[in-house]
Amino acid sequence: MRAANRGDGRAYARLLTEVTPVVRGIARARGAALGADGCEDVVQDVLLTLHLKRQSWREDAPLRPWLYAITRNKVIDAFRARGQRVTLPVEDLAEVLAAPEGPDPLEARDMERVIGRLDPRSAEILRAIGIAGDSTAEVGARLGLSEGAVRVALHRAFKALKRLRERMIE
Amino acid sequence: MKTAALIAALAADATPRAGVGGRMLRALVPALALSALALVLLWGPRAGLAGVLASPLVVKTLLPLGLALPALALVRRLARPEAQGGLPGAVLAGLAALLALAYALALARQGWAEAAAQWWGLSTLTCLLSVPLLALAPLAGGLWALRAGAPAHPARAGAAAGLLAALASAAIYTLHCPEDSPLYLPVYALAMLPVVAAGALLGGRLLRW
Repeated sequence: MRAANRGDGRAYARLLTEVTPVVRGIARARGAALGADGCEDVVQDVLLTLHLKRQSWREDAPLRPWLYAITRNKVIDAFRARGQRVTLPVEDLAEVLAAPEGPDPLEARDMERVIGRLDPRSAEILRAIGIAGDSTAEVGARLGLSEGAVRVALHRAFKALKRLRERMIE
Repeated sequence: MKTAALIAALAADATPRAGVGGRMLRALVPALALSALALVLLWGPRAGLAGVLASPLVVKTLLPLGLALPALALVRRLARPEAQGGLPGAVLAGLAALLALAYALALARQGWAEAAAQWWGLSTLTCLLSVPLLALAPLAGGLWALRAGAPAHPARAGAAAGLLAALASAAIYTLHCPEDSPLYLPVYALAMLPVVAAGALLGGRLLRW
């Protein structure tokens, strides 16, 4: 995480990959009522949030409480979106084990829905990098943009996704 | 979109961003400079300011400045999703209790009549209006900085930003304020109150994530 916050993309990808089963475990344990794909929506929501808020983690603080706090918040949001009130004590989450590894079970529906509401170019950049695995340079060459412009567009796309998801909850 | 695809896309956006601390530096310094400039140009420094600042009366300015330090630490702390008030919160509460105690002692010694006379001083209304006005820029800066954070309790974090802005604004206003009795203190406290309330209200709306 430390390396990730200093701009090391590969360390960051590794961190996100390692964190995901832990988050999924919490989401499944706490949000069983949401169903499997509802839980995967929460997982993706947590990943997006921790991405945009990653600078709120302090380098000298342990990562787990920070991660649990964000996950707990997003599970609550998911229940709120379904119109149910829940309260989750923080302490309980510390006991949760990571969900078993395995192939990604489901495509989360919510994320696809909000990506569909982005402007076409942002959505294209997002899909090219995420699904097709292109680099920012390749995407830039195809769209006639500089690499920097692709990075900025990608960051804006994540912020827009976050805003759209928040609107879904309210 | 599969979670693995999302991770790949997120990792491509690894450019470091400024956190709350960095944004505070960027926003609060100009905001405080603006408020100080506004005081000098629109209110004007009090007569003989240099002499006052060289006398023990400088405490009047140093006290809010000193309280602003734990308030700053509190804001930075509350910007994190897992944090409670912790040490800075306890320090602030302790100092506030100490001040209240000192004030009660002063009140007991000098009597209510004397205190009331100080409260209805000539500049009370100016103080009650000026402190919130001078706090506008630092409050906006503090809330903007907090938008980079993920506060567990948005309204509380906003209130802390309001407290910080109010303390800084109070310190700036003392450069104009002609009242020198320690019994005048509650007027400042009252003047700071709307800033804290505004911070809580705005924080609850702007700082959710």
